[in-house]
Amino acid sequence: MADLQKENLLLEVLKNHFNDKIFDLKVQRHQRVHLRTTTEQIEAVLLYLKEKLGYKHLSHISCVDWIEENRFELVYILWHPEDKINVLVKVDVDRLNPVAPNIDYIWPQANTYEREMREMFGIQFPGLVGRKELILEDWDDLPPMRRDFDTLQYVMENFEFRSGREDAQNVRETIAKRTGEEIPEFAKKYSR
Amino acid sequence: MRKQKTTTIYLGPQHPGITGNMMVKLEVDGDTIVKAETHIGYLHRGFEKLMERRNWLQSFTIVCRICVPEPDPNEENYARGVEEIEGREVPEKARWIRMLVLELARIQAYLLWYGGQSASVGLYTIGQWSIGDRNYVLDLFEELTGGRVYHMYIWPGGVRRDLPKGFKDRVYKVMDYIEKRLDDYDRLLFDNAIFQKRAQGVGYIPPEKAIEWGVVGPPLRATGTKSDVRIDEPYEFYDQVEFVVPDFYKTSDVWARALVRRFEIRQAINIVRQVLDKMPEKGPVWNKIPNPHKWRIPRGDAYVKTESARGEFGYYVVSDGSQFPRRVHVRGPAYVHGITLLEKILVGQNISDVSMIMNSLGTCPPEMER
Amino acid sequence: MNRAFNDRESQKILDIIKNFARKNSLFILAYGTGCGAIEIPPTITSRYDAERFGIRGAATPRQADVLLITGYLSVKTLKRVIRAYEQMQDPKYVMGFGSCTINGGMYWDSYNTIKQLDKYIPVDVYINGCMPRPEAVIAGFVKLQQLIQQGKALGWKHYKENLEWYRQNQQKVIKNWRMPDYNW
Repeated sequence: MADLQKENLLLEVLKNHFNDKIFDLKVQRHQRVHLRTTTEQIEAVLLYLKEKLGYKHLSHISCVDWIEENRFELVYILWHPEDKINVLVKVDVDRLNPVAPNIDYIWPQANTYEREMREMFGIQFPGLVGRKELILEDWDDLPPMRRDFDTLQYVMENFEFRSGREDAQNVRETIAKRTGEEIPEFAKKYSR
Repeated sequence: MRKQKTTTIYLGPQHPGITGNMMVKLEVDGDTIVKAETHIGYLHRGFEKLMERRNWLQSFTIVCRICVPEPDPNEENYARGVEEIEGREVPEKARWIRMLVLELARIQAYLLWYGGQSASVGLYTIGQWSIGDRNYVLDLFEELTGGRVYHMYIWPGGVRRDLPKGFKDRVYKVMDYIEKRLDDYDRLLFDNAIFQKRAQGVGYIPPEKAIEWGVVGPPLRATGTKSDVRIDEPYEFYDQVEFVVPDFYKTSDVWARALVRRFEIRQAINIVRQVLDKMPEKGPVWNKIPNPHKWRIPRGDAYVKTESARGEFGYYVVSDGSQFPRRVHVRGPAYVHGITLLEKILVGQNISDVSMIMNSLGTCPPEMER
Repeated sequence: MNRAFNDRESQKILDIIKNFARKNSLFILAYGTGCGAIEIPPTITSRYDAERFGIRGAATPRQADVLLITGYLSVKTLKRVIRAYEQMQDPKYVMGFGSCTINGGMYWDSYNTIKQLDKYIPVDVYINGCMPRPEAVIAGFVKLQQLIQQGKALGWKHYKENLEWYRQNQQKVIKNWRMPDYNW
């Protein structure tokens, strides 16, 4: 197991600089550091990480819908090209009024991620430019990646299936019926 | 002063020069591109939504469909993400086999790239050769996994089955053959004056901005940066094999990216040979997982990444403690390369170079919109 | 057609000649609509060499005879596919490629892909599999050639005659219908 010296040092630096504005700091494993902050502080944290500590590369921005806890969790994943550490900065956004700061002035590629989140989760980023429609076209339902959007129900309302799936639910039985084969009693409960 | 007048050109989605099903909207002044805008979404299937409805094992069959030209990094990433959250051990031999599959996937992806890149400058012979030779690699996959394109082979806990009898010899044979053929490709593509003239100085990415703009993989290495997930964060047994990361092509244009790939396919062949030599003969290849319908992964999250043929492929896997993934978010290299980067570097180029630049960046629509 | 060839017998002979010519030069539209597009390069390159059946790529819809729907179609692409299909010249043929065109395949519960291709455009041949191997693709093409020779690949006529029905289905899925009329 590699030592976690660099990771712990990073935690120290961040703790000293931000004090109680960041919390839940932990070293998940070698090369992975997690921390959590608030939407007010996220720009400051990201800018500090990028400009002062050299986390130049934005790997990913992800969004997780925790519908039970009524929050969206935005995860900014940064990468340090020399120290080789991934930092996962997490922010909670209120699910009923989802607004998060726009950071595409820090990394230009954040623009795409944010547009996708605006479309797929309905999170608003004030000042975000770009077409409203990135992936979907003429979508008028709930943002589809939200947990409360039921894709199966949507499919049943909008598309039709060719019949054939229903009678083939029990594959073993269907084949047996077609070929006139008899399934022994003991094997019936394993058929499917 | 002359009034600036531009024309709008829609390149795609149905266009022979576009790498897949996407569209680039170009504002052109004469033949020079003034503004480019990528339109995606033609291949959106909602994978991440579908995975929320499938259990951990069922999801594994659909992750490979996220990126069509090389599905294996997806499988490996997903499997490793699940293993990392769960803390599941992988047998040693399975990890070597994973590396073998990943490197073979890299080779076939580069062979496909040879075809695409040369077709984009109008050289069709090399595509006939390299894509024809790629079939030999796909044959190996077929023997190993049962599928030519989608393998569904690397799964949580190991790989699906052991190597067939005599498989190693056939891999050696195919590697020898492809290595021999690579010299032929060189003569056709890299010695060709057309490609040399057209590729040099086109599609320039400023090296000092590259990391900031999110460039990864061969385009980043073509700027002279030594960056490779296999070295930066060795997964599987990449710390036990030897290979060189090409950071000595520094011109950062289509030509340099082509040279990087030319170098890397040879490295990949080398790695395959090393993997076969170091792989243990016997041993389990799969740590059995519990009943998939009851298989719960403890609450947690993991970000795992793989070096695919086009760059860093990342998976952010989140579990809420149930049988179903809470979220599996895919970070494909083309998501950045094909949208923001492409829009930036197309400005000032000619219309005829768009296809070439897209190929050199490895734009792959299915992984952008998933 | 001048008067000498107007009787039924010579019409038949003419049809045979026309169908023979059509079946041996199938130009497929270079439009990779889904993941099946990855098996098209192997099919048309050296090992499987589809050109020996007269199959090759065409750059624009106007020059193409066959529209290959390579896999799932998202709703956004469906609109473009309909546009491309309507731009193609008669006679034109459609091949559904992969399980997802037949009944949704593994994307059966996806909100953004259509499930039955033949509700939106007429399909002459389906090739199943996920994804179909190059041999299967060639087998599909041979089947299409047989149908053309027998004069049975009449999806394009069917489309013209039942345009109302197809339009109804198409407009049910494509919410914002801004398309030119089909008038050739």
